[in-house]
Amino acid sequence: MRFVETSQVNALDRTPDKTRLAACGYQCIRLYDLESNCTAPIINFDGVQKNVTRLGFQEDGNWMYTAGEDHRVRIWDMISAPPHCSRVFDCQAPVNAACLHPNQVEIAMGSQNGGVYLWDVKSEVHEQLLPEVDASIQDVAISPDGHYMAAGNNKGNCYIWELSSSPNQHLSTITARVKIPAHNRAILRCKFSPDSRMLVTTSGDGTACIWKIEDFSKWCELVIKGYWVWDAAFSADSKWLFTASSDGIARLWNLKTETKKSIRDYTGHTKAITALSFKDEIVPD
Amino acid sequence: MATYSNQHWLLSHIRNSFISTDDTGICETVMLSDDMPKQYLRKFQAAANAQAAQGTTQDGYRRAQQRHQQQQQRRSTDTASSLPSQHVPPRIADAPFHDVDFVCYPGLDLSDDEDLDTSTHSFDIQMYPEVGAHRFRSNTAQKLEKLDIAKRKAARIKSVNYNEEAQPPQRQDFFKRKQLPSKPAKQATTEPAEQQQSKLTAQLARSPQQTQNRFMEYARFDGTAQVGMPTKRINVYVNMLPEPERNYPLKICVLSTAKIIEVIGLVCYKASLQHPDVLQLKSVQHYALYMTEDNDDMDDFPPLDNREPCSKFGFSHLTLAERRPLAPVTRIDYHTQPGTKSMTSEEEDKGALADAAVQALQHISLNGDVPDSAASDQLDQVKAYEQSLLNHSDMMEAPISASYRLSLIDKRFFKCDVNLVVCWERIEIDQLKNVKFWTQKKFVSTPIEFVAYCEIVEQKQLKALMRIWLKAKSNSGLATSCTSAPMDASSMTLNTSSASPSSPPFGGSPFGLFGGQTIRFKHYDFDTDVHTAEKICRKLNCILVMRASELRKEFLRLRQRQTSVTSAGSSAKKQLKL
Repeated sequence: MRFVETSQVNALDRTPDKTRLAACGYQCIRLYDLESNCTAPIINFDGVQKNVTRLGFQEDGNWMYTAGEDHRVRIWDMISAPPHCSRVFDCQAPVNAACLHPNQVEIAMGSQNGGVYLWDVKSEVHEQLLPEVDASIQDVAISPDGHYMAAGNNKGNCYIWELSSSPNQHLSTITARVKIPAHNRAILRCKFSPDSRMLVTTSGDGTACIWKIEDFSKWCELVIKGYWVWDAAFSADSKWLFTASSDGIARLWNLKTETKKSIRDYTGHTKAITALSFKDEIVPD
Repeated sequence: MATYSNQHWLLSHIRNSFISTDDTGICETVMLSDDMPKQYLRKFQAAANAQAAQGTTQDGYRRAQQRHQQQQQRRSTDTASSLPSQHVPPRIADAPFHDVDFVCYPGLDLSDDEDLDTSTHSFDIQMYPEVGAHRFRSNTAQKLEKLDIAKRKAARIKSVNYNEEAQPPQRQDFFKRKQLPSKPAKQATTEPAEQQQSKLTAQLARSPQQTQNRFMEYARFDGTAQVGMPTKRINVYVNMLPEPERNYPLKICVLSTAKIIEVIGLVCYKASLQHPDVLQLKSVQHYALYMTEDNDDMDDFPPLDNREPCSKFGFSHLTLAERRPLAPVTRIDYHTQPGTKSMTSEEEDKGALADAAVQALQHISLNGDVPDSAASDQLDQVKAYEQSLLNHSDMMEAPISASYRLSLIDKRFFKCDVNLVVCWERIEIDQLKNVKFWTQKKFVSTPIEFVAYCEIVEQKQLKALMRIWLKAKSNSGLATSCTSAPMDASSMTLNTSSASPSSPPFGGSPFGLFGGQTIRFKHYDFDTDVHTAEKICRKLNCILVMRASELRKEFLRLRQRQTSVTSAGSSAKKQLKL
């Protein structure tokens, strides 16, 4: 499948029914059909002026969010025949990252001016945080159990907040927890493991670090020397980790062994891998 | 324009179109007998000839036109009066011969041969004998079709306007808050998580630990996995396979950007996947791609250069075989000299270099040139062998004329750029630019018989002073009288040159006796870079050796005696100095 000539892929996500793949990049949002052999997109977004940095689907696939450097995060109604925009949030600065809360109504966003936002899509209330001035937030993540929110910036620092909510409350309450000086260079991705006990941060310094949420200490470091680690994805049981790096190799790491060496390399890409999407399931006993 | 209103041309065109577009060929058989346009043509020509015979000065065609106009006028008046049915246009073809009278298309009478006459054919319809009656579509048609396909493809893609205004969802439950389980106790989470198993874990447990294919890194050059990248399809015969498989090529699709070494890697990868049991492959450096006929006969050409991109070559069939030991000529050359750039690609590791050297050595010992001995000896012998091979190639190239650009040193001070040509018969020195001081300089050509020796006198880091010794033609000792060397400023007798420590004096009475007369040597000094100097020296001396030059022998004999004398009486006064 060929995305576009002019852009890298910033983010990939699949619909929950695994039939469609969405990809975004510079001036481009495209949806592909995964069930046919057709490599042409089935839906193309026109008139995108700027870089689109993130996208993702709501867990039923009812709507999709996109975050772009046009300062806006948009919610797209995917049930209606041609998808249409149903909500817009203006971050006042190019948006680098967006992430959906597991409660499916709140979206965390990170912007280039260093702001972190939590936005309730339903009631349209939001809260803004500024963890560090003169730093650009590169990625945000919310743990699958909904208790933590993490944001990594271009200085290599990772901030973690605790989220709590009570019934009848619109927006989760945010409490700052910890700042981790995670990497020497910019953080490119942060992601929580499905069991919400680990956080992985990938960076331009050629490492991916896994942090224990229990005490926010570094648990291990995966090294891909000399290359940027662009993206990472855990398996559903949090025992394995995939990494995507600029050497064009996707690696699979076994997190249960002592020696941290990739057990499988997936070669085939001729250029850097900048995004990956992995959907795993728990096998019922 | 005129053609479409010309009935004769139209008739011819329709006929040709029928014949050329009919794949069955029946049209041609049917229409063969009555070639109407041709018959009209004959009739028209006959009429024209008849008129020409009447003695008018105008040319036939213009006359015919006039006549045609007259006839048309007459006919229109006729039509008005007589029955109209006879002149209804569709029935013209049916009308008897003599009734139809129109101007023949001018090009048609150029040739009687229908097949050679292209003017009767449509330009859009071209016959290609090799494809039968099939006709190629024009570029425009192909472009239009591509546009059409793109349009149809685009129609399938749903388009969404990114900048559209937000419309709040109609349904109330569109955004539905999902209730998350309340925060469980930390101890509780540790245990069940261990027991959970994901599909990936299950899948990995099922698939055994794979041994990583050694050529895995080349898998990414597989063109079948790429979309929108230029690829190349090559059939490769793998020579290492046993008999039945060897005769069938491995069809590979490789990225056009891949280098030959990477193509070799990909072939190794594919071959090792297809024949895991029979193939025991070594490293990629052991193999080379050879040009091949499609009947899998390997050509006796050297293998394709590992560093070149495969897009450079247009071969449809190649053979992967063990690198033939013929190659070491160049291989040792590069591999035994550390610091020089590797002949093969940069990916070559040290082990491969060692492999190549060992292979080359084995080859040498097989040839009986070099006995097996210690490694250090072997290296020397390799160099000696290399030297002999280099000499061999020098000898092969000796008759070929070569030209060099260097500076001639004049009176040890002035320099001027010259072009030195060395060939089998002579050496030539030609001044490149006219400098105002040396306007008198002429082109110098010296027969090779007068050339004695060539040497590098002084060698610095980059520059070298090269000297070519010539026999001075006259024995007078006056260089100016030497006719073959008008560049008198640089030509010197040996006597004057003796001041230079590295060039001992020759000539004169004590040594310079040759054929009953004193030989005087003069020399030209050149300033150039070391590499060129070495090249010229090697070439010129090689020519002299091959010609068994007496002069050279004499020169060297004299020098030998000279050096022995000087070393014997080192402190003695230099009586040689004349």
